[in-house]
Amino acid sequence: MQNKLIKWIDHRFPLTNFVKHELTGYPTPRNLSYWWNFGFLAGFVLVLQVVTGIFLAMHYKPDATLSFDSIQHIMRDVNYGWLLRYMHATGASAFFLVIYIHMARTLYYGSYRAPRELMWWTGQGLLLMLMATAFMGYLLPWGQMSFWGATVITNLFRATPYIGDQVVVWLRGDYTVGDATLTRFFALHYLFPFLIIGGVVVHLVALHTVKSSNPSGIDLAARDNIPFHPYFTSKDFYGLGLFLIVYCSFVFFFPDSMIEPANNIPANPMQTPTHIVPEWYFLPFYAILRSVPNMVGGVAAMGLSVMMFAFMPFLDRSRIPGGASNRPIVRIGFYLFLLNMLVLGYVGATPPTDQIILVGQVATLFYFGSFLLIPFISIAEERWLIKRGLPPEVEALIASEARGKIKLPFRRRSGDIK
Amino acid sequence: MRKFIVILMLYCFNSVVHAEDVRLGNIGVDASLPALERGADLLMNACHNCHSLKYVRYRDLSAFGFDKKKVDGWRGDQPPEAALIGLLADESAVQMFGKVPPDLSLMIKAREGGENYVYSYLIGYYITPEGLLSNHVFPETKMPDVLGVSGVTDPVQRTEIQGKAHDIVSFLAWAADPHQEERHRLGYYVMVYLLVLTALLFAVKNQIWSRLK
Amino acid sequence: MAENDTVGDTGRRKFLIKVTAVAGGAGAAVACLPFISSMNPSADVLAKATTEFDLTGMNPGDMRTVAWQGKPVFILRRTPEQIAAMEASNGGLYPEPDQQRVKQPEWLVVVGVCTHMGCVPNKEGPGWTCHCHGSQYDDSGRVTRGPAPKNLEVPPYRFITADKIVIGEA
Repeated sequence: MQNKLIKWIDHRFPLTNFVKHELTGYPTPRNLSYWWNFGFLAGFVLVLQVVTGIFLAMHYKPDATLSFDSIQHIMRDVNYGWLLRYMHATGASAFFLVIYIHMARTLYYGSYRAPRELMWWTGQGLLLMLMATAFMGYLLPWGQMSFWGATVITNLFRATPYIGDQVVVWLRGDYTVGDATLTRFFALHYLFPFLIIGGVVVHLVALHTVKSSNPSGIDLAARDNIPFHPYFTSKDFYGLGLFLIVYCSFVFFFPDSMIEPANNIPANPMQTPTHIVPEWYFLPFYAILRSVPNMVGGVAAMGLSVMMFAFMPFLDRSRIPGGASNRPIVRIGFYLFLLNMLVLGYVGATPPTDQIILVGQVATLFYFGSFLLIPFISIAEERWLIKRGLPPEVEALIASEARGKIKLPFRRRSGDIK
Repeated sequence: MRKFIVILMLYCFNSVVHAEDVRLGNIGVDASLPALERGADLLMNACHNCHSLKYVRYRDLSAFGFDKKKVDGWRGDQPPEAALIGLLADESAVQMFGKVPPDLSLMIKAREGGENYVYSYLIGYYITPEGLLSNHVFPETKMPDVLGVSGVTDPVQRTEIQGKAHDIVSFLAWAADPHQEERHRLGYYVMVYLLVLTALLFAVKNQIWSRLK
Repeated sequence: MAENDTVGDTGRRKFLIKVTAVAGGAGAAVACLPFISSMNPSADVLAKATTEFDLTGMNPGDMRTVAWQGKPVFILRRTPEQIAAMEASNGGLYPEPDQQRVKQPEWLVVVGVCTHMGCVPNKEGPGWTCHCHGSQYDDSGRVTRGPAPKNLEVPPYRFITADKIVIGEA
């Protein structure tokens, strides 16, 4: 009976073929580490956010006079409403945490290099959409931090040349952030996740075309692979278990740690809280905004700081496989970059004093500097490594890659590598 | 996020938090029903004249297990569905204090330092050398010293007032997060389940991967 | 493919995977419950489950409609003639003695929702007529004609005092 049904479907739709090629039998390099779990986790959190969001939307009211009350209605009266809301609010932070680790892994192992540029760029697009969704969602509780956060962020568009003020009013639908802003943010907050799902499909189609990268940095998917199921399904589910332990400990025991106290006060357009900070996942970029004394410059710097990642396939000139794991200088640079992100995050969370601003400016220079220096560092490092003599295992990797039937993932300069 | 850091500081390092240069101890709240009932009683007498708790309804109190007679006493002839709205009209409040007293439903969540802040505020009243009433935690406050802590030097009486403040804060903490107890209880089950499930998933993963060798 | 397909699953392996699958599946199923539960009436809706109604001022033959849980409830003060007629008949299509449908013969309390498709019947002549599909009910709320499959529902209610009822609790 089951076989008959599947046959009937397969005659009309490539179901068995799809499952075999893309799910159960999808060839995956066997040496993926746990850092490769975070793409799956991001997909899980996306589903979690969509599901909790839809159920919250059944009780939420996008109206400036009702929304704060409706959140309290959810928290107090709706059956398990507190659980849905805390899952959704904590889920936003979890989403960024997972995505940032996913990005850090890509940067560390150089997974953005050819032929995976399109994966990296669709990922960049997904990051931007995620940021927009998170920002619009943050307005919906209509607390003080919601209101003033949205006021500040929409004001960023004043930096648009010539028509800045009109753009801001157009975005808000009002002279200040108001009921019109809230209602459209709700509509878009509901829409964007579905755009993200579309982007994820593109991201995955690209992945299944080029196959997964792996810690060695050479193409193993066509040679030393194992089927995705059951090996990586079991590994992903184990990772999911670990993730859920962390996530649920926040949801059940520290849910308010991700909600600013000021957001428990209804929005008051007449009074700004003494200290407004964005959510933690925006802090480094917010620090860059504040580090540039000129408004337009600050906005441009902040926008550019998010977009810098997209240039990585062009900036990284090195052809040593394995990313930072085989490149000592880039490895140090990677950890310094992470450290600098923490410094920027701290600066973004701290009220601006002269010292803090100075620290922020130095960190901002370091941020952009680390991107701009990559072309020079990567070439110089490659020459130095070859001159010094590559470690035997890296030599072996390069040799095996040269023997492989798959085209080399980088342009080869003659004479550099024997 | 800042609150999370505060919580970490309080629970992990048992340190103190600074707010407006005043030390806030980690007082902890007493979530037991008698303490909440005492707190509610004090609040209905001392705070409810001016402050509302508009997100807390009398039926919430009875549903949580507060003594039905007490709830009926506080409620008077209002329906159980009525919220704990303060007795003072907004206009008179503005006349008397220059502003509308803030709603207390979410007060514990709305302040950096949470229950520690509100507790320190309630017992933070003192008489300045100029003979004026002030508050260590929130000097600009318009609220009178309802617990009468500023005029008391006797340690026994001070302890008694501190106990009252503690009860009020405990009640307010419940009012700000009425599902906390349920959340924690459910949370323990979820954590145990997840630990077991993750251990199983780890075993399955190891078994499946052992086929490769 | 590097996988060695000849490696068969031993019984023990299969058992572990089965246990894990059952545990995971059960957890996922339980995790659905809060979501389903969140769609049930919330505490504030449940708190409105009862409605009080003051009967003073109603003359024999008068009918009032009150909202109970958002539904119309018909309260009819019946005249002695109506009571006599209703007690004499056993209803139409779905016989039921009138005594079983009232607490006091003078007062009929029924949910004013046609048991066919949920329209609100109109008081016309003796009894009610539903204009959606033509069902008719008598002055005891019993079906006398039409597609309605049941007599009008009698909600739980009780007399708090002689002239005050509470609908929603028996």
